[in-house]
Amino acid sequence: MERFARILPLLLLLAGAAPAAAQLRSVDLYAPRGFGYVIGDTLTLTAEVALDAPFVLDPASLPQPRALDYWLDLRQARLADHGVRDGVHRYTLDLVYQTFYAPLEPRRMTIPAVSLFAIDGERRVPVEVPAWSFLMSPLREIVATGPGPAMVLRPDISPGPIPIAALLRNLAAALGVALLAFLALAWQMGWGPFGRRRARPFTRAARAIPATLRAPAGDPGSPASGYGSALRMLHRAFDATDGRGVFAEDLPGFFERHMAFRSAELEIRRLFDASRRAFFGADPAGAQRDLPPADLVALARRLRAVERGTL
Amino acid sequence: MRRERLALLVTLLVFASSLAAAAWLGARLFVAERDNALIASLGAGHDLAVSTDDPPELLFARLHFLATRDRLDEAQPLLNQLASGDDRRLAVAALYDMANARLRLAFDQLESNRIDPAIPLVRLAKDNYRRALTLDPGFWDGKYNLDIAMRLVRDFPQIDLEGEEIPPEAAKKLWTDLPGLPRGLP
Repeated sequence: MERFARILPLLLLLAGAAPAAAQLRSVDLYAPRGFGYVIGDTLTLTAEVALDAPFVLDPASLPQPRALDYWLDLRQARLADHGVRDGVHRYTLDLVYQTFYAPLEPRRMTIPAVSLFAIDGERRVPVEVPAWSFLMSPLREIVATGPGPAMVLRPDISPGPIPIAALLRNLAAALGVALLAFLALAWQMGWGPFGRRRARPFTRAARAIPATLRAPAGDPGSPASGYGSALRMLHRAFDATDGRGVFAEDLPGFFERHMAFRSAELEIRRLFDASRRAFFGADPAGAQRDLPPADLVALARRLRAVERGTL
Repeated sequence: MRRERLALLVTLLVFASSLAAAAWLGARLFVAERDNALIASLGAGHDLAVSTDDPPELLFARLHFLATRDRLDEAQPLLNQLASGDDRRLAVAALYDMANARLRLAFDQLESNRIDPAIPLVRLAKDNYRRALTLDPGFWDGKYNLDIAMRLVRDFPQIDLEGEEIPPEAAKKLWTDLPGLPRGLP
């Protein structure tokens, strides 16, 4: 058995089976370390089997997971088929063993050989995965010399609570999503604080006016020009803020109802004068002189600030 | 307008489903907290019954309660259920605790010099340790205690009694021990 103790690829030609040697190319055993195993350890032997092409390993001859001995269990036997290449059919066989031997001192144990069969329809050729031996080590002294009584069991596993951390995390995530969805819903419906967002006509006007002034380069005299549109936007913002049409003569009432805008009274009156000239006086050029586009933008921003209450 | 309505619908759907998930998780959390209270109560030494539908953690707490009080016959069905359950960690713990309980009982018997009742206890304990190690080969406490049990009652290669082939002398012995067997009188 000593010769198998090394970790080695091992070529095994079956002795006394001369005709079989032609079909069985090789059985290479790849073993883990051969020492330092204690009771309950698992070890995996890997055998690489090469057969001549028409032969296949008989799956029925694979060992079944079972107790092989009073101290040794075969836990798993996995066969991987790598197919035929250059007339050689290759397999990898993984054998997982678990040892339950309780040695008193380091002791060499042997995993027995495994006999498989290769078949090609009529012929049947034995394939042997060789035996392998390894050293098992004891876990405890033979005579206890440590403090305390000799045979003290390791303590029980005490019952623990049902883990709820994951549950709590998921619950928090679900509630978070629900809150976000609710906020999105409120935003879409304009509920609560989002309601005021909707009623901010000057904010919208201030955002749109610079682009409107830039866009149509056409006739500056026409009321459809960018300047005229920008004026109309501001007027619509006044209308929306007051909830009714606001004309120059309504301004005193407007300032009554919206005290905050009083701080911009002068500019607002300038705006209303300019639009009167532009729309009713048919003098858009004069209007633009009275209230140049840059001033119009500045006024829109000022009104936006008033509306937000930041002025 | 149409897109807005669609967005609204999607938001509503997300809201409703996340609320439903939260409600379901909350209910599960409530049940888990209740079971945890039962586990804590068992740990504090209250003799609470459990049913087979209870979560495995609670069953294990009950098994531990019974095993530490030498009520092994009551604990065995729980062990069977846990060992065949899905929770490998709890199966290992249940097998290990039960084996420990058996081994402690065997120690008590041995201390008062009753060898015969101790031997099957040690054998059962060894079997449970082995099953625990089969599930978790890296379980060091199980290895250590199995080593102790192995030195109390060592395993030996036994005659293979599986299958039909009963050794003739064993078969003979089986019959001669039976009372009331006709003795071949004419």
